[in-house]
Amino acid sequence: MNLDPLNFLGQTLALLLLAPLLSGCIKNWKAKLQNRRGPRPWQVYFDIAKFLRKDMVISEHASWVFSFAPYVVFLTALLAGLMVPMINAPAPLRLFGGVLAVVGLLALGRFFLALGGLDPASAFGGMGSSREMTISAIAEPAMMLAIFTVAITAGSTDLSQIAQSTQSATWKLLNPAHVLAFAAMFVVLLAETGRIPVDNPATHLELTMIHEAMLLEYSGRYLAFMEWGASIKQLVLMTLLVNVFFPVGLAGPQASVAALGISLAAYLAKLLALSAVVVVVETTNAKMRLFRVPDLLSTAFVLAALALLSTFLFQ
Amino acid sequence: MHPPTTLEISSQVIPLMATLMLVVQLLLIAQRMLLTNIRLFAIQSLLLSGIAAVVAFNYNASHVYVVAVLTFIGKVVFLPWLLNRLVHRIQIHQDVEPLLNAPSSMLICAALTLLGYSVTRPFTSLEKLGNNTLAIALALLLTGFFLMINRRKALTQVLALLTVENGVMLAAVALTTYGMPLVVELGIFFDVMVAVMVLGILVYRIRENFDSMDTGKLDQLKG
Repeated sequence: MNLDPLNFLGQTLALLLLAPLLSGCIKNWKAKLQNRRGPRPWQVYFDIAKFLRKDMVISEHASWVFSFAPYVVFLTALLAGLMVPMINAPAPLRLFGGVLAVVGLLALGRFFLALGGLDPASAFGGMGSSREMTISAIAEPAMMLAIFTVAITAGSTDLSQIAQSTQSATWKLLNPAHVLAFAAMFVVLLAETGRIPVDNPATHLELTMIHEAMLLEYSGRYLAFMEWGASIKQLVLMTLLVNVFFPVGLAGPQASVAALGISLAAYLAKLLALSAVVVVVETTNAKMRLFRVPDLLSTAFVLAALALLSTFLFQ
Repeated sequence: MHPPTTLEISSQVIPLMATLMLVVQLLLIAQRMLLTNIRLFAIQSLLLSGIAAVVAFNYNASHVYVVAVLTFIGKVVFLPWLLNRLVHRIQIHQDVEPLLNAPSSMLICAALTLLGYSVTRPFTSLEKLGNNTLAIALALLLTGFFLMINRRKALTQVLALLTVENGVMLAAVALTTYGMPLVVELGIFFDVMVAVMVLGILVYRIRENFDSMDTGKLDQLKG
């Protein structure tokens, strides 16, 4: 199997361009649901373009880690995205790794994000980093267990193969184990993308912030990469959710242009549906107290563990 | 791909709904707001009633339809309404901190579910419709008992009793379609109904006398 350059290029572009739009859509819909007009969905592109043009203010105490972190965060999210099948079932970088590589790359990105928060020695950054690590310590195992559930059913840790085997199975409703795993993954999605019951993506100067606290010292180009990386990471996790659990319409290895078109339409529809659910959850819930967040995440962890057990029961 | 038969659909819908019942049960354990707890219980009962309806449809068993309808009227509409009214009357909306905190009680419930799975392992087979839901029924039973022990408020203990009963009903409906005669099912049903109404009054009296629903305070004798 060779690297298909078109597939590679297409998915890279899709990841880069679709991610800000998706963040913008979620922001816009959230505003609409709260009776505000809200920024236009493509506002995030303008924000990133503006950040890229602006000068940077960097603390004199910051070391090389500070300027290194944005690139690592951006690139790890992008690489992880290239291992998840988006529109075409064999993902471009499937030869380089499956589930474990995706989780590992995201963890590497998070590690550097936390370091970047700690490095300029501002109190807020350190607080954000410590909180991020606390949350991810519980969210990450839950995510691993949930994906392993699907991997066991498919008999492979390769995401493209998982998606294809879920798709080609004889007529089948959602597997009960997959329901549990999906519930767990959804909670993990909320936690990892800093959504409301866990973190509030709309705050910039509050004691409760987590993700924003780590970005507080960043400006200009670095901030653009951080924000872009965060939205790509969100897109990757959402793609993982929709394409692994509902691979309806996903195009196969030698798909025609028409099949790819249908696949793209189905993918966008699934993505928007998932975003709508996220928006509703964000609007109808209040942010949790930080010390209650482990309760939520441990629920996700237990659901994922039960999902893994259920694969042996309901096979 | 041939179009799925009714039996095929049912054999996938039943485990799906049973699993959702288990998810709701776990949420019930993590959740402390009384009104949300009552709503979750109603959802769980709705799923149970759905399972009963699917089983009845497949075996063409009219007495299971009766169970489905009774479950719907009793546990999805009537009991939640009764408990809601009770919550509004006693003006307590939240359970105090349970004896064990949420993460550790979740882990214990996972262990209890695992126990349920492993105990029922020899009895599960794919030959008969919904046989593998026995594991979930047992898990509901065990976690329901745990919920009853873990909570302090009398009202949540009543809810826990109801979820235990849901587990028993699930086992009865999914496992022994023909085994349980209608009379027995009706007996269990009205038993629970009356029990909850009596307990509701009892909860109200406890609250009146002790200014609290904490059952831990009941060990002191009062003249």
